[in-house]
Amino acid sequence: MSDGASDPGRVRTALDRAADRILDASVYERVGIAVGSTGLALLIGLVIVALAGYDPLRFATQLVVGSFGSERAFARTLQFTTLFILAGVAVAIAFRAGVFNIGVQGQLIVGGIACVLAIVWLAPYVPDGRIGGTGLVAVGLFASVVAGGLYAALPGALKAYYGANEIITTIMLNFVAIGVVGWAVDGPLRPDDARSVRTEYLPDNVGFPQLLFEYPSFSLVGLGLALVVVVAISVVATRTSFGYDMMTSGYQLRAATYSGVDARRMIVQTMTLSGMVAGLVGAVFAIMVQGYFIDPSGLGTYGFDAIAVSLLAANNPIGVVPAALLFGALDSASSHVQIHSEVPVQLIDGIVGLVVLFVAAPELFRMIAERTGLGGDRR
Amino acid sequence: MSDEPPAVRLEGITKTFGDVVANEDVDFTLERGEVHALLGENGSGKTTLMSVLYGLYDQDEGTIYVDGEPRSFDSPQDAMGAGIGMIHQHFQLVPPMTVLQNVVLGNEPTRNGLIDEGAARERIEGICSRYGFDVDRHLDTPIEELDLGTRQRVEIVKTLYRGAEVLVFDEPTAVLTPQEVDGLMGLLEDLRDAGRSIVFISHKLDEVLAAADRITVLRDGRAIGTVNAAETAEGELARMMIGRDVLFERLSRETTPGEPVLEVEELRVDGDRGLERVTDVSFTVREREILGIAGVQGNGQTELAEALTGLRPVESGTIRFQGTEITDTGRRQRIEEGIAYVPEDRQTEGLVQRYDLVRNALLGNQTVAPYSMDGWLNWPRVSEHAETIVREFDVQTSGMGADATSLSGGNQQKFIVGREIGHDPELLIASHPTRGVDIGSIEFIHNRLLELRDEGLGIVVVSSKLDEVQKLSDRIAVMYDGEFIDTVDPDVVTEEELGLLMAGHGPEDDPTGNDPDTEAKL
Repeated sequence: MSDGASDPGRVRTALDRAADRILDASVYERVGIAVGSTGLALLIGLVIVALAGYDPLRFATQLVVGSFGSERAFARTLQFTTLFILAGVAVAIAFRAGVFNIGVQGQLIVGGIACVLAIVWLAPYVPDGRIGGTGLVAVGLFASVVAGGLYAALPGALKAYYGANEIITTIMLNFVAIGVVGWAVDGPLRPDDARSVRTEYLPDNVGFPQLLFEYPSFSLVGLGLALVVVVAISVVATRTSFGYDMMTSGYQLRAATYSGVDARRMIVQTMTLSGMVAGLVGAVFAIMVQGYFIDPSGLGTYGFDAIAVSLLAANNPIGVVPAALLFGALDSASSHVQIHSEVPVQLIDGIVGLVVLFVAAPELFRMIAERTGLGGDRR
Repeated sequence: MSDEPPAVRLEGITKTFGDVVANEDVDFTLERGEVHALLGENGSGKTTLMSVLYGLYDQDEGTIYVDGEPRSFDSPQDAMGAGIGMIHQHFQLVPPMTVLQNVVLGNEPTRNGLIDEGAARERIEGICSRYGFDVDRHLDTPIEELDLGTRQRVEIVKTLYRGAEVLVFDEPTAVLTPQEVDGLMGLLEDLRDAGRSIVFISHKLDEVLAAADRITVLRDGRAIGTVNAAETAEGELARMMIGRDVLFERLSRETTPGEPVLEVEELRVDGDRGLERVTDVSFTVREREILGIAGVQGNGQTELAEALTGLRPVESGTIRFQGTEITDTGRRQRIEEGIAYVPEDRQTEGLVQRYDLVRNALLGNQTVAPYSMDGWLNWPRVSEHAETIVREFDVQTSGMGADATSLSGGNQQKFIVGREIGHDPELLIASHPTRGVDIGSIEFIHNRLLELRDEGLGIVVVSSKLDEVQKLSDRIAVMYDGEFIDTVDPDVVTEEELGLLMAGHGPEDDPTGNDPDTEAKL
C-alpha cells in the first residue's frame, strides 16, 4: 500500500466505512448476506430471462425441476456437490492461511491422472472382486493425494523460498497440467482401441458402491468421503497446533511469526495440504463420475468454480457444504435446462455468473479490505 | 517578532483514542518562514498532532488558528484549501502514472473538459524553477522508475502545486539514503527562504538540529518545551524526549544474581535492509537480575531483541541460554525452552487483533504443554489460562469472548505480559513493556517485573524511558548506533550522564555538549 491511491479523501473515508462494516459483520449477518445475495441474483436472472423474451416462471420451474425434481436430477446435483465440496475445501484451506491457491484445477487433474494410472498399473496384481476393488480404490485415492500435494508444494516452495507470486505460478501450473496430461491421454496413455481421447477404463471392480441412488455417476460413498474430509479439515483447523499455526498465519502473519511459526515452511505446508484435497477431487471424478480419465480441457472447471464456492462460504470448511450444494444445484439445473427449455445455455451461464458475482463479491471485498488495511485506523 | 500572526497556532489540543491519550493540551506555534521540528519518540503524539491540523482527525478539545483565524478542518481537502499540505512518510503517488499526472491529480487544469497538459507543464516548471527543483526533468517518467528521493520531491511539488503555504513533513528522512537526506535539508532551507513555513516531524536528534530553526519536543502526548536549535544540544534534547519525570520511586534492593541465564558474545545482527544494526555486543544476564537496555529508539535495540528471541538471524557471535548455545535455533524451540518475549509492537505481533482472548492466550503457547499435547490443543486449559491472566493481571475486558481490538493499550499490554510469564519462563525479554500504557498499568507491570526478578527470573528490559530503566534495572547498558556504549549502575548514574550516553557521547568523551542553564527554560 505504500504508493497507494491519491489523497486520503472522501472516497477513502466512504470505502473505510463500508469496509469496516463488512469486516465487523457477524457470522449470522454473513449467512444473511450470502442467502440474500443469492436470492437477489436469481431474481435479476429471472428479469433478464423475461427481458430476453422467455417465460421466467417456466424457467424458474425448470431450475428447480432440473436440480431436485427427480431422482436423476437430485443425484446429478449431489454429484456436482461432492466435487464442489472437496474443491471448495481445498481452496478454503489455502485462503484461510493467507495463501492464494488458484491452482486447484491443475492439482485435481494431476491427482486424477495419478489415481487412474496407479489403479490401472496395479490392477493385474490384485485379485478380482470386491476386496481387490476396494484395495485399488484406496491406492487410487492415496496416489491422488500424494500427486496433488506434490504438485501444490512446488508453487508453495517457489513462493516461500524464491518469492514467486503463488497466484501466477499456480495459474501457470494449471496450464502445464492441462497441456501435459492432455498430451499424455491422447498419446502414450491412450489405448489403441479407444475412439475418444481417454485412458484405459478402470477395472469393473473399481468404483464406489451404489447406495439408494441408481444414477451411475454418483454414489453416497463419494459424498460421504467429501463430508469426512470437511470434518477432518475442520478438526485440524480448530483443534490442533498445526491448525492454529495455519489460521494465525492467515489472520496476522507477524503475530504468527512471533508465536514461533516458520512462515516459509507454513506456506509450503498449507499449499501441500490444499493440494492433497484438490488431488482427491480428481480421484473422485475418475472413480465415481467417469470411470477413466479424459482430456483435462473437457473436464469441467471445478477448480475455478471452487474459488467462488469457498468465498461464498467465507472460506469456512463447514460453510463450503451448503455453498457447494448451491453451485451443484445450479450446474445440475443448467444441464437440465439446456435440454428441456428453449432458454439458451449462455443465458444460464450468465445467471450462474451473476450468482457468483453477488455472492462472492462481499467476501472478496472483505478479504481485500483486510489485506489492504482498509477499514480505518484499528489502533 | 512581527505584527503578523503566526502561520499556524495550535492551542490546547487534546485528542484521545479510546482511553489512550495521544495528545494532551498541546500548544504549538509555527511562525511564518521557519522550519519547526516536532521531536519525540514513536507514539509520543507527533503524527497525531499534525493529523489534527491536516484534518484527518478531529481534536477533542482545543483550537486551530491559521493566519490568526480560528479554523476547523473536516478533511485534508479543507486543510489544503487553507494552504496546509502534508508530505506523508508513505508517498501518496500512483506508481504507474507519470510525474506530471501525479502532480496534477485531483487539480487538473482543464480546457473544454480536457486536461490542459500545456498549462499543467508550465505551472509545474514555474514551481520547479522558483524553488530549484529538478523534478521538471522527469515530468513524463512514471513514478515507479524514480528513486525514493525524487519521488519525495514530486510529492513536495504536488503539495506546492496545490498552493500550500505550510508544509508538514512526516518523518521525511525515514526512506532516504544519507545523500538524499542532505539534498532534502537543502530543499527545506530553500522553501523556508522562499517564505514557506515548515513542520518537520522526526525522532532523530542530529537531523532535527541540522534542519530546524526551532524544536518542540513531545513526550507521552504532551509538549515538553520549545527550544531554539542554535541554543541546544543533543544531550538536552535526548533528556527532553526521554523524560526526567520521577514518577516512580527507585526501590532499594539487595541484588543477589544467580547463575548466568543468557550469555551473549560479540553478537552482530543485520537490519531489514542488510545494514549492520547490532555491532559486537556482549553481555550476560543472570538469574534474579534485570538488565536494562536504554537508548533512543532505532539504535539497534529492536534487532538485538529479535536476535535474542529467535526472530532474526545472527550474522556472527554466539548466544548461550543456560549454558547451551542457541545461536541458530528457531523461535519455537526458544519458546519451548523458556524464553518469553514481550514484543515491541503489541498490535501486530503480540496479539492477533481479531482473535478473542482465549485464542490470544494460546499465541506462542501452541506447542507448549499443557495447552498442547502431541499436537492436539486442549482448549479448556487455554480458557483457564486466559481467565487466570485476566484475573491476575487485572485486565479490563467485557469477557473471554472479547476480541483483542476491544482492549485498551494498557490492558492489551497487561494481557501480553501475563501470557508471557504464565508458562514459567527462565528468561524474559521485554521490549518497551509500558509504551503507550496508562500510568496505573505501568505501575502494575513494573511491580510484576520486579516480583518476577525476585522469584529468580532473568529479565532484559529494552526501553527508551529513562525513569523506567532506572527504576527496574540492576544494570543499565546504553545502546547507541548498534553498540553498547557503556554499562552503568542505575544507583550511581545521573540522568545527565544517561542522556549524554544516549546521545552517543561515550564515557571517554568530554560532556561539553550539555548546558545546565537550558534546564530552566523547560
